[in-house]
Amino acid sequence: MLDNNKPEVVVANEVKAESKGEGRYLYCVADNGERADLGKIGLDGKEVYTIPLADLCAVVHNCPSEPYKSEDQEVVKRWVMTHEKVVEIAGERFGTVLPLGFDTIIKGEEDISPEENIKNWLKQDYANLKEKMNKVRDKAEYGVQIFWDPKFITDEITKTSEEIKSLNQDIISKPKGMAYMLKPKLENLLKKEMEKKADLCSKDFYARIKKCVFEIRVEKTKKTDEKRQMLMNLSCLVGKEKSKELGEELQKISEQEGFFVRFTGPWPPYSFVAFG
Amino acid sequence: MIDIDEDNLKHGVLGLVIALVEVIRDALRIQAFKRMEGGSLKEDEVERLGEALMDLDMAIEQIKEEQGITQSVQSVRDGLDNIVDDVLDKMVNPERWREEVGDKQMERM
Repeated sequence: MLDNNKPEVVVANEVKAESKGEGRYLYCVADNGERADLGKIGLDGKEVYTIPLADLCAVVHNCPSEPYKSEDQEVVKRWVMTHEKVVEIAGERFGTVLPLGFDTIIKGEEDISPEENIKNWLKQDYANLKEKMNKVRDKAEYGVQIFWDPKFITDEITKTSEEIKSLNQDIISKPKGMAYMLKPKLENLLKKEMEKKADLCSKDFYARIKKCVFEIRVEKTKKTDEKRQMLMNLSCLVGKEKSKELGEELQKISEQEGFFVRFTGPWPPYSFVAFG
Repeated sequence: MIDIDEDNLKHGVLGLVIALVEVIRDALRIQAFKRMEGGSLKEDEVERLGEALMDLDMAIEQIKEEQGITQSVQSVRDGLDNIVDDVLDKMVNPERWREEVGDKQMERM
């Protein structure tokens, strides 16, 4: 209930509420101290501009302090693509950027505006941010996913393992009850051999790829279909001159029978700038 | 939660029963393989054990097909899996028990 006898207090509260409800959508931090306008390229056509501090700046647009949410997948997709486009444009304009993930919003607090909050963060984290800039300058992120064909590899393993060959023989030749009991034993053995081979191959590929990149991160593997199994999922930070070398090494790996490689990029270095 | 087909109570109860039979059959399988691997069985014993388990498999499949409860059985088993997972989660992470008990007390208030 508004108390009509105290108009000043009501106004003050309204102002506080306003700065509490506003935020800045953060796209990236750029290696540049300009106060610049990038145009209406942001989510939902918002005006994107920079908040500078010393020789760095935050690339933002004004928004409510609530995260961007939608039930409609197409809307979210569009937002994410817009986010990535803005980061790309900022990268082209300012050289080096530290990208943030989608939907990072800086709010205001009690008596601190979101703008001040950002400047404080840039100030406090300045040394760390400069270090990160130096790390990623003239480098790009590439995604490397290596798959194998489980059936092909199983056949290979069967050919080379005496134990598995003889178990297979038993299952075909022995009476049905015995065969039934032996099948899980075969499955177990195959599973163990597959795991051993996956381990060996992964270690080999990792070592070969590591030589071609500046920094490497192991990501979670994802389930695909039965025709292909993901062996490894890597994010690589690569200097622009070295990306050819990486491509050649991956080409060699993909030429091994039963193996497939998915090589994506270049991206801004999303995975290599971990913000707290 | 276990999702039993309540449109047909008999159907639902049968689904539950067969789901439990499958769970017991799986336990039997594991024991049988253990005995075989342990070397305590002669070859003809392994043969008879295998055949008996095969017959059990076939009987279960036949009942499911005839009664049209294959889906029903699968949902019961999936529901059981979720419940077991949930209990294990809480054993691994006792904070979750405390949170749940706390929530329930809040609801009563």
